[in-house]
Amino acid sequence: MKIGLEVHVQLPTRSKMFCSCPTTDAPAPNTHVCPVCLGMPGSRPVLNRQALVYGIMLAKMLGCKVADTTWFSRKTYFYPDMSKSVQITQYDHPIGEGGVVYLNGKKPIRITRIHLEEDPGKTRRTAEGSSLVDYNRSGIPLAEIVTEPDIASPEEAREFLAQLIADIKHTIDIPDDGERSIRCDCNISVGKERCEVKNVTGLKNAERALRYEMVRQIKILKAGGKIERETRAFDEERGITYSARKKEFEADYGYIDEPDLGIFRIKELVDSVSIKESPAKMTQRLSSQYGIDEKKAKQLVSTSVNLAQFFEKVASAYGTQEAVRWVIGPVTANWKRFEERGGGTEAVLAVLGKFADGTITDTECTIELKSVMTGESAAEAAAQTDDLEKIISGYLDANPQIVEDYRKGNKKAANSVIGHVMKSTGGKYSSSDIVEAVTRIVESRI
Amino acid sequence: MDRDVVARVARAAHIKLTDDELERYSKDLADILDYFEVLDEAPGHEGVGVNPVEVTNILRDDVPGQEIDSTELLRDMKTYENYIRGPKLV
Amino acid sequence: MSDRDTLSKLDKINSVYGMFHDFGGEWTDDTEFLFSAKDNLTSKGFETCAGSRILEGYRPAFDATAIARMKEAGGQLIGKTNMDEFGFGTFSANSAFEVPKNPFDLGRSCGGSSGGSACAAAVLEDHVSLGVSTGGSVCCPASFCGTYGIVPTYGRVSRYGLIDYGNSLDKIGLLSMDPAKLSEYLPVISGKDPKDPTSCVQPELRIEHRRISSVAVPRESVEGISDSVKKAFTDALESLRSMGVDVEYVDMPQLKYAMPAYYVLATSEASTNLARYCGMRYGRQDGDLSLGFDDYFTSFRTEYFGDEAKRRILLGTYTRMEGFRDRYYAKALQVRMGVIDAYKAQFRDHDAVLTPTMPFVSPRFEDISAMSPVENYKADFLTIPPNLAGTPHLNCPCGYDGDGMPIGMQFVTDHWNEDLLLTMAEDWDRQFEVRHAEVKV
Repeated sequence: MKIGLEVHVQLPTRSKMFCSCPTTDAPAPNTHVCPVCLGMPGSRPVLNRQALVYGIMLAKMLGCKVADTTWFSRKTYFYPDMSKSVQITQYDHPIGEGGVVYLNGKKPIRITRIHLEEDPGKTRRTAEGSSLVDYNRSGIPLAEIVTEPDIASPEEAREFLAQLIADIKHTIDIPDDGERSIRCDCNISVGKERCEVKNVTGLKNAERALRYEMVRQIKILKAGGKIERETRAFDEERGITYSARKKEFEADYGYIDEPDLGIFRIKELVDSVSIKESPAKMTQRLSSQYGIDEKKAKQLVSTSVNLAQFFEKVASAYGTQEAVRWVIGPVTANWKRFEERGGGTEAVLAVLGKFADGTITDTECTIELKSVMTGESAAEAAAQTDDLEKIISGYLDANPQIVEDYRKGNKKAANSVIGHVMKSTGGKYSSSDIVEAVTRIVESRI
Repeated sequence: MDRDVVARVARAAHIKLTDDELERYSKDLADILDYFEVLDEAPGHEGVGVNPVEVTNILRDDVPGQEIDSTELLRDMKTYENYIRGPKLV
Repeated sequence: MSDRDTLSKLDKINSVYGMFHDFGGEWTDDTEFLFSAKDNLTSKGFETCAGSRILEGYRPAFDATAIARMKEAGGQLIGKTNMDEFGFGTFSANSAFEVPKNPFDLGRSCGGSSGGSACAAAVLEDHVSLGVSTGGSVCCPASFCGTYGIVPTYGRVSRYGLIDYGNSLDKIGLLSMDPAKLSEYLPVISGKDPKDPTSCVQPELRIEHRRISSVAVPRESVEGISDSVKKAFTDALESLRSMGVDVEYVDMPQLKYAMPAYYVLATSEASTNLARYCGMRYGRQDGDLSLGFDDYFTSFRTEYFGDEAKRRILLGTYTRMEGFRDRYYAKALQVRMGVIDAYKAQFRDHDAVLTPTMPFVSPRFEDISAMSPVENYKADFLTIPPNLAGTPHLNCPCGYDGDGMPIGMQFVTDHWNEDLLLTMAEDWDRQFEVRHAEVKV
């Protein structure tokens, strides 16, 4: 099975791609509009620098060869949501080509290209059959990322999309507003001929649509039928794909250059744009640099890139072993509340410093970390930790087999302790606190 | 020019042609394209040809703003509750 | 006739010549001069249709930059001039509205596509009109109506508010009987405009009164032209020599590729520009919305585009279609670069390239209707090359045939060298007796 994706990401600019209309939520339909995004005769586009910069960042993140010279093209098609009946996109001179993304650090998924284009408006149907159009979305900048058909299953597609979305959000600072800002076209072939499922929103739906399409194609082939190359649509509610009546031939788009924008010689700009390490790359690096388990590295990074950075800080100050013990332990457990409070990491680092020079014991360190990170009083934290540790220790004393099993490599042995503590304390402690304490105490007994 | 090709072009362009028009435009386009044949022998060029003078790196800062009130723009449009009315989506 | 008289008589004048699509206005305290503008420039206060029924009812919410700048300089816009639909024509006969009549012979064309602008410039006293040239639409009507007409370098005047024909070709220019007005108003409408990126690379337009001291006359340009044009042009060359200008005949074989390249680029771009006209948002919107969108759009485009608009849409859709695109569209882009190189080569030794403007004087309307599309297109073979190359060019009246119909010559200079043309127009006007049409009101 071969799956290739075309992923559309809205870029977080403040104004639209070719006009200065705001990109924020509009008070009513057709209020964030101007002659340009309404396609009024006589208007013309001017490119938003930030959209270009975001495009360059993503091209770099995807390991693409970034163009020295890039420009835009016109894709002509008739639909009520496209105010000019022409979409300004990139055709033969996209911003980036020939990249590669390693899924979970291992499997290469080749990136064909990344280009910039404008979003069309939104349409609604009325009861009597006509349509209503809102052009507030018209002209919002999009990056389209096209992969080679290197993805082997719907599950893998979902995994890839999750990694890609996390990397994109981190690279260009998209606020965490859910996954629905990602739309994709999914190409899938079980046999020789492929079908394209257009305009699927979100990664859950991408997996559902692909799974449905996979089963459909397998059934047809098993029955001796032939897959017809076609464009299909996905019905989110019913979870099925269906043939899109209107066939789209690339020939009809009749791409030509967009003369109104000129061209962009971006070598200098490309050199001046640097990007942050993507979460996927950071995971791989943490794992290999510190010799920690890939899952632990991923847990750190997916909790928060800031947490992963703090891990590195601790590792450089007190060694990897202490970083693993404290950061992947109590610090991770308290990180969400810590970030909500918006404190600096210096105080946290200071607590670890006290432990390192022997001023405080490990139990005191755990209590102080919790207190510093959550803002609870030390006594409260101590009492809680104390009670929690007593329950855990008591249970472990009564069931010595658990530590023995854990020592032999059966990490799941700790689950029975966690389950017991959760049940017996009835929601008094957060699950992350319990998991952290159990892991810490079990490991300390080995 | 082949009538089928002209018919396909007309469909793409969203223009309906009667049989007579199809005949006439096919002939016109054939004449015109004959006249364009000289292009085939013209020398090529390596330059970037988007514009006749090079227009490079003209960019706008990412600052939101609207000059014209949207109600003024929608004044002569067919609307319903501020949506612009369009045909059936099929 | 004073400007106030002109305003009060617009109705009468227009009923004779038909130069305006929409017009009117009163003299006010702020008015320093009157001007008109081709109807493909958007303007508040006047309907803007670009000669097409599909835009009927479009009242733009914004002024084109060129119009706004003329107004800021004290100009009052008095009317929008008739034109070929979207600029598609050489005689303004492809207008969905009125076809302007030649001031020297009402039975003949004003030329096109800025025919109404040339007519207004020729008939109204002390008038200046904004025209637009894609492939010759300023110099052709200027030549047929015996006026001066200047088209600056591509990108010199902002195209914001210009209803597009071919975005890599369209240029806004000026027409007037008085060359001093070209020098006065070209700087007004020129300059960078953040709303049109293609206007933002220009060097400043400096009026330094530099003179053209040598011209190259391509031999190809005097073949296939009428005897009267040839004679007037040859006489004009003599006059130029007497003004101290070196005249040299040269070969520019690349020019023969200019016309097909132009029509491919112009129609390819036009067919995408015109895709937006489909019965929604502006212009005609009086259709049955319960129709499927393809049928709905098709019905408007079929009913409201004229014959030549359809022909050019079909041609342009074809030349950019997958499978034909490389042979036509992509090749035409390369050919344009070659034509630009050919001009640049001439400008190493000469200040300007000089040709007649049109191969014949303005034809009668009945002769125009008998012309085939290819014959029609061929009429532009002299005006197309500079338009394709984006080089500035100027029409100067240079003679009259036996019937008194005007003949023009066309100077072409290198990109951004409008100053040479402006000086030439004023110098020429001092030694050539330009005839004014007798106004029949």
